[in-house]
Amino acid sequence: MALLGRSKILTILITILFVAAVLVGCAPQEAPLEQPAVDEPAAAESEDAEPAVTTSITIMIPDNPVAFNGINTDTGYEQALGELVMLSLTETDPEGNIFPELAAEIPTIENGGVILDEDTWTMTVTWKLREDVFWADGEQVTADDVIFTWDSLIAADAWIAAMDYTESIEKIDDFTFTVYYYEGYVFPYYPLQFGGEDFFVYPEHYCDAEAGFYEWNCDDQPLSSGPYILQEWVADDHLIFVRNPNYYQEGKPYIDQVIVQIVPEETVKQAMMMEGDADLHYWPAEPAAVLYKEPGNGTSYVKSPTERWVMRLIPNLYVKGDRETPHPFLSDVLVRRALRMAVDVDTIINDIFLGFGEPVWNDFFRPPFNSCDIPRPVYDLEGAAALLEEAGWTDTDGDGIRECHGCSTAEEGTVMFMEFAIYAEYGETLELTHQLIHENWKSIGVDTELQIIEGAIMWAEEEDGGTEIAGQYEMDMWDDGYPGTDPSDQIWTFYYSESDWNYGRWANEEMDMWIDEFYSLDEEYRLEVACEMAAILEQELPQILLFSTLEQHGISDRLQGVLPNANDPVTWNVADWSVTE
Amino acid sequence: MGQYIVRRLLQAIPMLLLVSIILFALVNIAPGGPMSAYSRTNRMPEEKKEAIRRSFGLDKPLWVQYIVWLAGNDWMPIDSDGNGITDSYGTRKGVLRGDFGFSYKNREPVLDQILDRLPNTMYLMGITLAVVAVVAIPVGIISAVKQYSAFDITVTTLSFMGQAMPEFWLGLILILVFYVGLDNPITGNSLLPGGGMSTTGAPFSIVDRINHLILPVSMGVVGWVAWWSRFLRSSMLEVINQDYIRTARAKGQIERKVLYRHALKNALIPLITMIAIDFPYVFTGAVVVEQIFSWPGMGRLYYNSATSRDYPLLMGILILGSAVIILSNLMADIIYAYLDPRVRYD
Repeated sequence: MALLGRSKILTILITILFVAAVLVGCAPQEAPLEQPAVDEPAAAESEDAEPAVTTSITIMIPDNPVAFNGINTDTGYEQALGELVMLSLTETDPEGNIFPELAAEIPTIENGGVILDEDTWTMTVTWKLREDVFWADGEQVTADDVIFTWDSLIAADAWIAAMDYTESIEKIDDFTFTVYYYEGYVFPYYPLQFGGEDFFVYPEHYCDAEAGFYEWNCDDQPLSSGPYILQEWVADDHLIFVRNPNYYQEGKPYIDQVIVQIVPEETVKQAMMMEGDADLHYWPAEPAAVLYKEPGNGTSYVKSPTERWVMRLIPNLYVKGDRETPHPFLSDVLVRRALRMAVDVDTIINDIFLGFGEPVWNDFFRPPFNSCDIPRPVYDLEGAAALLEEAGWTDTDGDGIRECHGCSTAEEGTVMFMEFAIYAEYGETLELTHQLIHENWKSIGVDTELQIIEGAIMWAEEEDGGTEIAGQYEMDMWDDGYPGTDPSDQIWTFYYSESDWNYGRWANEEMDMWIDEFYSLDEEYRLEVACEMAAILEQELPQILLFSTLEQHGISDRLQGVLPNANDPVTWNVADWSVTE
Repeated sequence: MGQYIVRRLLQAIPMLLLVSIILFALVNIAPGGPMSAYSRTNRMPEEKKEAIRRSFGLDKPLWVQYIVWLAGNDWMPIDSDGNGITDSYGTRKGVLRGDFGFSYKNREPVLDQILDRLPNTMYLMGITLAVVAVVAIPVGIISAVKQYSAFDITVTTLSFMGQAMPEFWLGLILILVFYVGLDNPITGNSLLPGGGMSTTGAPFSIVDRINHLILPVSMGVVGWVAWWSRFLRSSMLEVINQDYIRTARAKGQIERKVLYRHALKNALIPLITMIAIDFPYVFTGAVVVEQIFSWPGMGRLYYNSATSRDYPLLMGILILGSAVIILSNLMADIIYAYLDPRVRYD
């Protein structure tokens, strides 16, 4: 009897567990976000019944975004979702043209918005805002909001490009403010300092300033000034955006509802597109892109006219972990040229990336700086071998790997062997590329040990065991690119001798001088300077650029108006998107 | 028994403390760090990064970081602006007072994030374990009782397949067959959804919830049923050849009673150990299932926190997992006492 009692207790326990699980799961968990009360002029609209959703699209991204800002980013999708709800002063179209969004116009010297004092080499930029833009609660967007955003960034130790050149911001009137710069020319496309994918203007009257930029309510319950309002966010599952009736562009956005579905698995995203359950596959892998290119399956393939992300080999010119001793062979430019010559870029693009890539061999590959006539390097194994011979590296013991015999950078007999690392998160295509380059180099007598390490290690701080910043590597391969259309910061970052991110520690006085010159207001001169730098980079090869991956997306046939943009997230023109049934 | 439970619970406290020290050390000394997010594309100047490191408390020695994590810093003066002068008290209360800190990634409280995902995981994994129990126990019993029968051979074959099949692959096959391949003959839509907990944007429906459960539960069930049923079969085979079973039969007890009253109860005892090992999954989730079926649960939260070196979130999840493991082992010991009269803790 007692035993029967124990069995019953067990049965009851198991039943309780099961029922609890079912109840927990079946309870509706999506609490709609609380929207602030709507004042004039939205009050009239709020009295109307909520309009029925008639058009809806689903965008798929793999990770839960961190926040609605472009600064505290982690997944790379924060900016794209931010574009749905937030506005900034300016944006960039796919062709690289900067256009005003919250700003009434782009300040220039010609229209009096930019004043350059050549005596003191200081600059002021005066911005005028549109006067017809309102927050979703009916409050007007003003200069106070821009200054509030700026002050919040400063208080939070957040960072946007050229922040350290900015002395102060002064309000002139409700729709005008002036930015004072310490130095005459901050960076060439100064309009993007308050625009592009990183900078959104936040509402002073709504965001909890005391909580601070990283913790405030505007990170996860943004008050919209953009085309959509965030209605619901279930972390790691989905976000729902509905049309903002206060959006300043009359009649836009055309689509009533945007659902952002978090789908981590690439195969599942592809299946959802094929089943018609999703409308935009953000950054599909190459096999999916091939599928979307095929006609008649209800999907289409779209890509940006220009590219952004370049896969690059980054040689450490010094011995691993030693900033004093030059690397036995990577410090020799002849060797670097030979290594580049031996990489079969076309096979990587066509057979591994299935044609979804473009050869890139110089950092000045995007308009307007792509006019320097640097010829594309040839793939030539024999030529590469000859260069190594010329550099004093030959294989005398017949093991297929070269040793130093008369080389100028290493002791006699030093073997041509190095570590070659990539980061794990990129996936299979990079791993295959890694292996192919290993084979390419082995065929000219350079041996490598392939390493795949986590991005969290590769780019960690030196004290956390980060390999790049500490120079704890020999040869790495990863992709990088810059938003907007101005490469100044990227060029400085990678190639200026004093930059912390000049990972290979390449130093060239002439290059430093041209980088300084590149910070000029004269566009014609900048083009000349760019070509001078391109020539030096081609001659010295501090990095070996291979190819650009494409800014590409899969879309459903019914979704219209999507214009991928290497300068901004694909959602830059979401208000113009429409659907056809 | 009451004393035993109290004693075990008290023992669990130093055990958990020790585990937390080991985990904290392992998590923090592993290569990589949370600042990598600021180093690759968002190239922040050194002084800005230092300020962020300071705000995370990463500028302190590891043992100080542990004490702050455990006991907070609202009782100790801190240097908030990094000028070398202590100027205020901290705001952290520490794990001992229920403050698990905030995530480095999105600056939200760790506990909020865990409590947000935990119900989803309990829902999925609780039902999965319940289905496993409902299927595996009868299958294991019948296999043992009808050893070498067609049923037993079929189940054995399927069990080996179930154990050998990569979970990841099985999930994708289920999606290909039931989401992509087969259609609902009435609606014309996919027979089953390919992921998520429910249809986004649709009104709440119990049918929709169940539909979204079928594939992820099936994926989880296959491996576990194979394992549990094989285990129970072996255990049952051992028991039904014991003398006391023969005695029960000799006394003329009906076979059903012999099996369920005498054999099963004893055969289940080893299975309890296995359940105790698997039970923590109800709370910590299964990374692969959640990843494939876009399930917003603890498994994905853990995976993402590990890859981004979000130490406070990672520690929160690991400590929760450790506590559940300790408690489930305690529960297993208590259940032993119920099932086996020879086990006494008094």
